[in-house]
Amino acid sequence: MSGIPLNYFVFLSAILFTIGVVGVLTRRNAIIVFMCIELMLNSVNLSLVAFSAFHGNTRGQILVFFVMAVAAAEAAVGLAIIIALFRNKQTVNIDEINIMKW
Amino acid sequence: MNLYDIVFYFFAFVTLASAGVVVFSRNIIYSAFALLFTFFGVAGIYVLLNADFIAVSQILIYVGGILVLMLFGVMLTNKVIDVEMKTGTLQTLPASVLVALIAGALCGIFYVTDWKIVRGVSAPATTTNSLGEMFMTTYSLPFEVASIVLLVALLGAAMIARKDRLPQIKNQK
Amino acid sequence: MLEQIIHSVNLLKPETTLAITFCVLLVVDLIVKKRGSETAWLALIGLAITGFFLMQEPAAGTNSIFFNMFAVDAFSIFFKFIILASTVMIVLFSLQSNELKTKRRALGEYYALLISLTLGMFLMTGASNLLMMYLSLELTSISSYILAGYTKDADDSSEASLKYVIYGAVSSGLMLYGISILYGLTGAIDIYGINKTLMMGDVNMVAVVIAGILIVAGFGYKISAAPFHFWTPDVYEGAPITITALLSVASKAAGFAMMIRFFKVSFLDPTVGNLSFGSWALFRGFEWNQILAMISVLTMTLGNLVAIWQDNLKRLLAYSSIAHAGYMLLGVVVLSNEGVAAVLIYFVVYFFMNLGAFYTVMLVANKTGSEDIKEYKGLGYRSPLVSVALTVFLLSLTGVPPTAGFVGKLYIFAALINAKWFWLAIAGALNSVVSLYYYVRVLRNMFLRPADPSAQPISFSVPQIVILLILVIPTILLGLYFGPLVEYAQASISMFGVH
Repeated sequence: MSGIPLNYFVFLSAILFTIGVVGVLTRRNAIIVFMCIELMLNSVNLSLVAFSAFHGNTRGQILVFFVMAVAAAEAAVGLAIIIALFRNKQTVNIDEINIMKW
Repeated sequence: MNLYDIVFYFFAFVTLASAGVVVFSRNIIYSAFALLFTFFGVAGIYVLLNADFIAVSQILIYVGGILVLMLFGVMLTNKVIDVEMKTGTLQTLPASVLVALIAGALCGIFYVTDWKIVRGVSAPATTTNSLGEMFMTTYSLPFEVASIVLLVALLGAAMIARKDRLPQIKNQK
Repeated sequence: MLEQIIHSVNLLKPETTLAITFCVLLVVDLIVKKRGSETAWLALIGLAITGFFLMQEPAAGTNSIFFNMFAVDAFSIFFKFIILASTVMIVLFSLQSNELKTKRRALGEYYALLISLTLGMFLMTGASNLLMMYLSLELTSISSYILAGYTKDADDSSEASLKYVIYGAVSSGLMLYGISILYGLTGAIDIYGINKTLMMGDVNMVAVVIAGILIVAGFGYKISAAPFHFWTPDVYEGAPITITALLSVASKAAGFAMMIRFFKVSFLDPTVGNLSFGSWALFRGFEWNQILAMISVLTMTLGNLVAIWQDNLKRLLAYSSIAHAGYMLLGVVVLSNEGVAAVLIYFVVYFFMNLGAFYTVMLVANKTGSEDIKEYKGLGYRSPLVSVALTVFLLSLTGVPPTAGFVGKLYIFAALINAKWFWLAIAGALNSVVSLYYYVRVLRNMFLRPADPSAQPISFSVPQIVILLILVIPTILLGLYFGPLVEYAQASISMFGVH
């Protein structure tokens, strides 16, 4: 392991996470929102792997593996729902998908 | 500054720049392809952190699986020929300010945080062996649960996305 | 190693049975071409066997199995019983539901997913490792996304499903980030290890608080506490009503079980002495109960105020269930065994009254095709029995004596007052008064407004009335005779790893 301190990895993950969160908040296209969620999960994985390397135990990497598996499952279900909805409504914009009021 | 540092900064830059494109691009195809570079950048950093197994999984699952899924989603929900693939309005400036504020706050807090790292401990050169052992012993219950999660997702995705042969019942409100 | 696994498998029989039932249902659905209700009965058989194994679990002893992944203790068994009972009731409801029948879809997958949802919630009650918490939460969530969109031909069903999946994925992302910070601070992912490391002190409390808030986002989403409740009204309105009923009771119970275990085990400071019997102390500088108190007041006020303007009864019940999550959070805020026991009592009561309310709404919607409050005009004359039952459920949800709802609220408020949280008790009481207003609005429509002249009396079949009585009678009875329930709840608060 070289001179890069743990904090640099943590900062990288924090910035990536924030980009993902802001994307979720500002974008209106459901598929892009899903991409932003993947960004968030990637930042989580990044910080877990970094902590795992610096703690010297592999628990973090185990967690990352399961997060990846579940993220794939969640993305599959999410996209299936988007496609089913698109068939009914012909749009994937969250603003337009609003037959139900708040 | 040695080679390791240069490689780190390179991957960090690729990751953040492409993540920015994912969020701020108005063209959904650009977003999808930028995501590819984010995934590769993160995989590169995993390699730097000696997490070989995770790095390979990252490429296989994210690039090979999730990204392809996303692209199919884009294809199936955009009429490629007659609709331009511009998506939604977006205020780039306020969003960037928001990113800077939140990320700055988080980094500030983490900067003063003392992570309980063990000095002098380095990660093992290869992790695949020990990870495989842990899946079969200590983490056998989560491993089994994950298999059920995947089965449920497989079943559900197929069920929701398939077309019914029956005529659709429109339930307009 | 192997002995530990074999010992663990022995204690995991209910969950194993559910997993097997899930697979059997899938296979049977493939083989059997005739679309009857066989799969529903198979699911019931599987649930019955699960119940049998659940009763054999050693409730007295506390066990941690699979290398501290999963705890089998009185606390988790109590919640498992509530979840199992809800699923059984939902399968029975589904057999009566017209909404599901008219879709003419294969119901085998529907029942299989109900079982996987139950399995996820069972795992949530005992999860004692952050990884297990995340996985079981996701198993529950993914099953419920699919079930919420089950009647996908209806626009609002797939829309509800999309909102659900987006909010769910975001909040699980937030929760994971919290988990990663906690792992960075402690190097452990099991809640006992986290507690041990935090006990050693010298941890940046700001980072712990951020991690905690992010993790609360995950829990708050499951129990639909404000400000993570945005999905609730839409999903509850858009999903099939059977699923709405299940989400409002069982999935909330599982979320509470996981949250209480996480807070009580990870952040408990056993070294603090000089406490009144039965209360717990958290780490210094870690004012969790203050944050939770804010969330609970916000949750119940918001739920009750917005409910006033709702015209769709399903949506009204959705907001009312948000408000009830707020009341139950009050029991967690006090951080004492008394408070947790009050939450357990409340859940039993809530099981009967809330499922009952949703069931009557489903019965009426079966006949009239709508859940609009206007459709309830003069229902008291068209179907007296169902109207009286709905009256009992709504009064109980308000907390009027002598119904069961009163007992639930009584214990929560007693715990609050004993812990000197007077302002919270007053806020809770005021909220109950507000809730009376919108519940009574439904009653007024049923009994004081005349029905349309063309409206016919509505009659229901014998099994429907039997199920209704199964829910009505305990709602009244528990309000009058609640000694055994209270004793059972007080005996069920013991948790592995807490002394």
